[in-house]
Amino acid sequence: MLATVSSATLLGVDGFPVTVEVHVGQGLPGFTVVGLPDASCREARDRVRAALLTSGFAWPDKRTTVNLAPTSVRKIGSSLDLAIAVGVLVASGQLPADAVAERGFIGELGLDGTLRHVPGALSLVDAVETAEVVVAPGSVFEANLVGRPRVRCAPDLAALVDALTGEAPWPRPPDDPVPPAEPPAPDLADVRGHPLARAALEVAAAGGHHLLMVGPPGSGKTMLAQRLPGLLPDLDDASALEATRVHSAAGLALPGGLVRRPPFRAPHHGTSAVAMVGGGSGRLRPGEISLASGGVLFLDELGEFAPLVLDSLRQPLEEGVIRIARAETRVTLPARFLLVAAMNPCPCGEGVTPAACRCSDRSLDRYRRRVSGPLLDRFDLRLEVLRPDPEQLLRGEAADPSAVVAERVAAARRRAAERGARTNAELPTPVLERVAPLGPEASALVERALRQGRLTARGLRRVWRVALTLADLDGCEGPLRAEHVASAFHLRSDPGFVVGPQAA
Amino acid sequence: MAALPPEAHVVALARLPRVGPGRLRALLERYGPTEAWRAVVAGTVDPALVVHPGNDDPAAVVRSWQRAAAAIDPAAYWQAHVEAGIGVAVRGSDAFPAPFAADDDPPAVVFWQGDLDHLAGLRAAVVGTRRATRYGLDVAHRLGCDLARAGVAVVSGLALGIDGAAHAGALAAEAAPPVAVVGSGLDRVYPRAHGPLWREVARAGVVLSEYPLGAPAAAWQFPARNRLIAALADVVVVVESQATGGAMGTAMEAARRGVPVLAVPGPVTAASSDGTNQLLFDGCPPARDAADVLVVLGLEAATEGRTAAERRPTPRGDAATVLNEAPWGPVPVEQLVLATGLDLGRVALALDQLEADGWVSRRAGWVERIARPGVRP
Repeated sequence: MLATVSSATLLGVDGFPVTVEVHVGQGLPGFTVVGLPDASCREARDRVRAALLTSGFAWPDKRTTVNLAPTSVRKIGSSLDLAIAVGVLVASGQLPADAVAERGFIGELGLDGTLRHVPGALSLVDAVETAEVVVAPGSVFEANLVGRPRVRCAPDLAALVDALTGEAPWPRPPDDPVPPAEPPAPDLADVRGHPLARAALEVAAAGGHHLLMVGPPGSGKTMLAQRLPGLLPDLDDASALEATRVHSAAGLALPGGLVRRPPFRAPHHGTSAVAMVGGGSGRLRPGEISLASGGVLFLDELGEFAPLVLDSLRQPLEEGVIRIARAETRVTLPARFLLVAAMNPCPCGEGVTPAACRCSDRSLDRYRRRVSGPLLDRFDLRLEVLRPDPEQLLRGEAADPSAVVAERVAAARRRAAERGARTNAELPTPVLERVAPLGPEASALVERALRQGRLTARGLRRVWRVALTLADLDGCEGPLRAEHVASAFHLRSDPGFVVGPQAA
Repeated sequence: MAALPPEAHVVALARLPRVGPGRLRALLERYGPTEAWRAVVAGTVDPALVVHPGNDDPAAVVRSWQRAAAAIDPAAYWQAHVEAGIGVAVRGSDAFPAPFAADDDPPAVVFWQGDLDHLAGLRAAVVGTRRATRYGLDVAHRLGCDLARAGVAVVSGLALGIDGAAHAGALAAEAAPPVAVVGSGLDRVYPRAHGPLWREVARAGVVLSEYPLGAPAAAWQFPARNRLIAALADVVVVVESQATGGAMGTAMEAARRGVPVLAVPGPVTAASSDGTNQLLFDGCPPARDAADVLVVLGLEAATEGRTAAERRPTPRGDAATVLNEAPWGPVPVEQLVLATGLDLGRVALALDQLEADGWVSRRAGWVERIARPGVRP
């Protein structure tokens, strides 16, 4: 007898509909899964068998074949367990076929028949085309975010069959998880001194400009970076759903439901290229850059990351997505993140202060090579962060709190949105030149810098965009003023380790 | 073989690994050039001649010489020097520079590019750290320029930082020829970034070395080079130096030889001037400009006034406020923002104006005041 059940598998962060066909027929007793299952999917056989038996159902002592269609796509993970179990029940006549029609089944089975949550439930439910979807209680909340199919749940297989046959009502779905009280986010008001770094954070948040902080150990680079997400506005609906899908597919907990606050990811500098951009064998997992999509990717000790890892960031930085291709599959994952990096000026850490560095020329050379020019070029904001002097640290006036700065950022972002771009950093050059021409004084300033070779054509566009963000934050209209351009210049100065010891 | 001049064997001996001036002199004094080479090739050198053995095992050094000698053809190597136009003078020969001949730690052999006659006049060494500040570079450049104009040959080491700035200044004057003493073979330009400067100095003056062609720049060769700078100089000016470093070594070597040492004062808070300020404390006269150096040399001060007239436009408004708050010595822009209470835009704009007018220089977010109008490097 044949049964057909709808389910889905995960590819990158997207779900992919799968039809589970189960045939129970004459032949030597046996159980085969065909249709490109991966290892964890093949293991479904043992889980399903144990779950059926412990739930009081019979295991067909006939030839059982499970086909996962379409057969050309690799099926990954345990999300098909439930669909296979239901298929076996139907094919062996323990469940009427019309009970499973127009229903999708997504979930992993425990050996005692419990339904378990699977990573990526959000995308999986979205992929199923049926009007009703049955998931594990732990997945109900994610499934509801999709909004389209009617979501049902059952704690275990026996309860599910009772509900499907109409012998019992559908179990009540669990209440939505209460978001835990968030620990207070680090506030910008805690930062003493660092007036320029604070300004740079504000500009980065307002204009979506990537930020590089160079400074000696203990100067507060990490502390500053951690305060950036607090300045960013909430994610809009589309971005929030996208971020939630990525987090769900990566198996991260979603305590607060939809990811509304911009994520902050700070991978360690030992991170591999695959962990950074995503991929891996089998199911292509989202990497750190996708998890940071919509939020901030903070790379501390930029100079210690493997050059390969850093260079792999260049394409997603330009395109906002990462395309991962393997021989069998290719997926496109979102990777629209704000890159914030921090690094020591040189291996000894003292290279910011002129003539204080104790590094050898060779080690400096090596350090310089690690952070390649093309990557460095993508930072619109490049700033030296110095240890604040004790006067500032002890008696410096407290800065604006994050909430106040966030309001200015939101206002600046609204102005950018009126120009049709999400942020100024993404503003196309022709639009930039039209909406924000350089004022006469600003032109003179730029011309001088170009003549002296302190600025390249590409650098000019970046300085220009930063100047526009500065003007937005100040609420200035019309042609860009010289002071904004001059500030933008300063906020994009070449780090000392690139300039090298100054030659006469 | 018979037609080969005795210098050829000295040159070949100088190319051996772990041969410094001391060991080379010992070899030549015991055996003479030709016999010394034969002894090295045969491996019969008396291990006692490996002077200052340190961690070296003298017997192992003799063996390493023998191995290295097998790869050197003295005739071809000599020919390479002739073809490259490299001057060679062995100690005791007529061509050997007199300042070295009179020294107590002389090189056994000297190589040069350019004209050795440029050593005839007065010579002032201008040395300092490789990690110089803008202040140090400006002073070195100006000293080099003014000394050359006054007819004093500027001696330095062609290193990054102060050395290079002094040579660049001397070249800019187009007066007295610059003299460089380097720590590698004359075909091994080090640092690479100074290739053009090196060639200019060789063209206008002379570049000296005690290492033959192909000898790489090893770390121990630079202190050895510094003693030659001290030996050549009639006066040594240390422009900027950390508490330890090559320039301090040059000052020590000069002091040992009775050569006067002058130091350029720097901010007491700057690590880059720790060494020079210590020299001043120890009793060295200060070198504020070329005139101070000329007085020590027994020459009259340069005919120009002590300072050139101020030709820079007087800063006004924000520029005046910012310049007022800028201390002498490098300062981060952030500190100027805090000190003036102006916002970044106005400070940045003021700095741009000040830089265009020649009041400050900027590098990687740091600002440094420029003291006097001078020849810009």
